[in-house]
Amino acid sequence: MQQQKLTEQESLKLISKMIYEAKGYYYENGMSALIYGFSILICSLLSFLVAQKYIWLPLNPFYILVPIFFVQAWIQRRQEKQKKAKTFTDETIDYVWIGFFLSCIAALSALFAGVDYLVISFILILLGFATLLTGLIAKFPYHIVSAIVCLLMAAGSFFLQNQNSYLVLATAAGMIWIIPGFMLRSKFKKILKTEKNIEY
Amino acid sequence: MFKDLDPILHSQLRLAVISLLIGVKEAEFTFLKEKTNATAGNLSVQIQKLKDAGYIDVIKKFKDNYPQTICKITTKGIKAFEEYVKNLQYYLGKK
Repeated sequence: MQQQKLTEQESLKLISKMIYEAKGYYYENGMSALIYGFSILICSLLSFLVAQKYIWLPLNPFYILVPIFFVQAWIQRRQEKQKKAKTFTDETIDYVWIGFFLSCIAALSALFAGVDYLVISFILILLGFATLLTGLIAKFPYHIVSAIVCLLMAAGSFFLQNQNSYLVLATAAGMIWIIPGFMLRSKFKKILKTEKNIEY
Repeated sequence: MFKDLDPILHSQLRLAVISLLIGVKEAEFTFLKEKTNATAGNLSVQIQKLKDAGYIDVIKKFKDNYPQTICKITTKGIKAFEEYVKNLQYYLGKK
């Protein structure tokens, strides 16, 4: 791009093009979604097996999520450093998920109050809500549809209230994190490939 | 009353930089270079002019032992951009 004076039409065209370019900037390798998805899927399945007395574990499988949370935070921090631009969309989505995880921690305190499977239903509602907001903010139809399905699953889980609730949570983890995680990963690889082709 | 178009913004590269920065929270120099297809030297000069006008903030730091330049639009820059677009619309409407 050269340093030259513009006509009014050219200016307006340039502004629209650059705003579109900036808003379209996207850097997400899907790793965070896959880590969360597989961790919650595995913990849910282990909890189901423990509840069915197929296996025995010395601790609640969901405690595994505590170290994973720190590992994930470290990965997220590294990924943030790779980003060449920080968009307002990214920031808003981050706030939505921080809210989700803090709400989950608050909801888990219900376990100490003796409430068991009901917590899973509440977590599914929070998950559906956070996913819906993400889908609407990022204009990602898959997330909007999966959020509605998740909210329906949450409503259904209120009538379940047994160890099968863990299976519902495992399904939600696959739907909300694992599938989009792979979608993001494949998109990210395509972008990297295009960038490499441009470079050489 | 409408004034003349801001001369700081009414040039291709500076306008491109400001338009990019209006859409993001902050951006690295490499991002601006990539999107504008400008040379590093030319872009540096234009960024400095925008900084001198108080339209953007430039933060220099190190990332993995490499220098990193981050640009962010200021409140003054947002106001100038809005005014520029308003004047542009007026001029286009007059034609």
